[in-house]
Amino acid sequence: MIAGQPDKAPSEEPRSALAGILALLVHIVFIALLVFGFNWKDRPPEGMIVELWQDLSQPVQPPVVKTTPPPPAQPKQQPKPAPEPKSEPKPEPTKAKPAPINVAPPPPKKPDIELKDKTEKPKPVQEAPKPDPEEQKKKEQEKAEAERLKREQEAQKQRELEAQKKRELEEQKKREQEEQKKREQEEQRKRELEAQQKREQEEKARLEAQQAAARAQIASEIGKYKAMILAKIKSRIVMPPDLPGNPVTEFNVTLLPGGDILDVRLRKSSGYPAFDSAVERAILLSKPLPLPPDPALFNEFRNLHVTVHYLE
Amino acid sequence: MNTPVTQDLSLFYLISSASVFVQLVMLILLLASLFSWWYIFRKLFVIRNAIKQSDDFEDIFWRGADMNALYQRATSSRYTSGSMERIFVAGFGEFSKHPPGTDVDMVMDSTRRAMQATYQREMDRLETHLSFLATVGSVSPYIGLLGTVWGIMNSFRSLSNISQATIAHVAPGIAEALIATAMGLFAAIPAVIAYNRYVSDTEKLATRFESFMEELSNVLQRRASD
Repeated sequence: MIAGQPDKAPSEEPRSALAGILALLVHIVFIALLVFGFNWKDRPPEGMIVELWQDLSQPVQPPVVKTTPPPPAQPKQQPKPAPEPKSEPKPEPTKAKPAPINVAPPPPKKPDIELKDKTEKPKPVQEAPKPDPEEQKKKEQEKAEAERLKREQEAQKQRELEAQKKRELEEQKKREQEEQKKREQEEQRKRELEAQQKREQEEKARLEAQQAAARAQIASEIGKYKAMILAKIKSRIVMPPDLPGNPVTEFNVTLLPGGDILDVRLRKSSGYPAFDSAVERAILLSKPLPLPPDPALFNEFRNLHVTVHYLE
Repeated sequence: MNTPVTQDLSLFYLISSASVFVQLVMLILLLASLFSWWYIFRKLFVIRNAIKQSDDFEDIFWRGADMNALYQRATSSRYTSGSMERIFVAGFGEFSKHPPGTDVDMVMDSTRRAMQATYQREMDRLETHLSFLATVGSVSPYIGLLGTVWGIMNSFRSLSNISQATIAHVAPGIAEALIATAMGLFAAIPAVIAYNRYVSDTEKLATRFESFMEELSNVLQRRASD
């Protein structure tokens, strides 16, 4: 019994350590869950920020797009037309210059080779005839060679001239073709502009027609309801008998939305107070006045001008 | 408070930016939660072990094992014996101390008293820390609520200096204050569940011990009158 009491403490200790570890684990798991939960809650505001960025990025992106693709595109496009006009005028000086330069080197080169060949060839020829024709033949041969050289040079010059002419002709053709293309493009642009103008005019005309139709509808609606109001008022007038002539009385009626009458003021008396008061009573009796269902039209009815003739 | 849109509303920021009182409340609640979970697991092991040992001992006892052999085994393996075994040891030990010619009623009275004393001690051992769980379960929500009320009071007091008050000025303060309530509930809910569970378990064990005591005293009385 007495010895039994101390048993309990040692028997619990290892389990309590395990229990402590488990308790810590539970808390760690719970805190981890909480942290993740809070991170999840943090994301929606970030999403809002992202939306704002998208709004900003749209204006940002177009410039980016313009800066990145257009620079390559525009420079390329611009250079292309630029070189073309440049090449048209410049080729004359540039190609003309290179042409003579090109022409100059080949004649010396070719002659050199030919001279060498011919100088080498003549040698065996000269060696053979050395004993017989002597120097005259050599001179004649040299002269003939010189003439040949001259002829060849001339022929080459002629060829080069012809080539130059051909090039110039080709350039002229190109220029003409480009001018034709430009003219065609301008014509196309003019046509497109005219077509656009026509379309815009048509659209304007359509819009105007629609607006006019709408106005006409509104006007007819207003006229209809004004006639209805007048008819309703007239139906309530108890006409004073035996008035001379055709007196006219005019009232300014201020209406409320819904047809109620806020105020009735005599604008122009007929000269017969009995008639005036009869019309005023009729106006007040005829409320609510008929109004169009469209509240946008109420402004036309806010201040009504009612004119009543004694005799219709 | 001035830049609520870009404010970091993470858990650690909210806790660290709370007022000292609220932080103190949170610390108390964290400790209460830790201890209550510690006791929950300890009691879980202890009660589960007690039930298992009682099952085993009853199984051996009612199978008709020799009481002297059981007594010998129980006293020798004192460190692993269960509550019911200890009650048996107390009762049988007290019973066997009396010489054979003693009055049966007197012997049975003293045996019952010895078993009752051991039973009380065992029940006390099983029920320790259950009151702590009950306290945590009932009080920690109030402590958390106190921290929340205090935090909300502070966050509203800080509104008095601002002419145009928006929900963004109050929201972080309320959020950090509500953490206290969340912690209080986190501590309380498992504590209450565990307390109810363990109370019913110990009550079941107590009825088992009491019925065993009655049955053992009957067996011993028959043996004494023989």
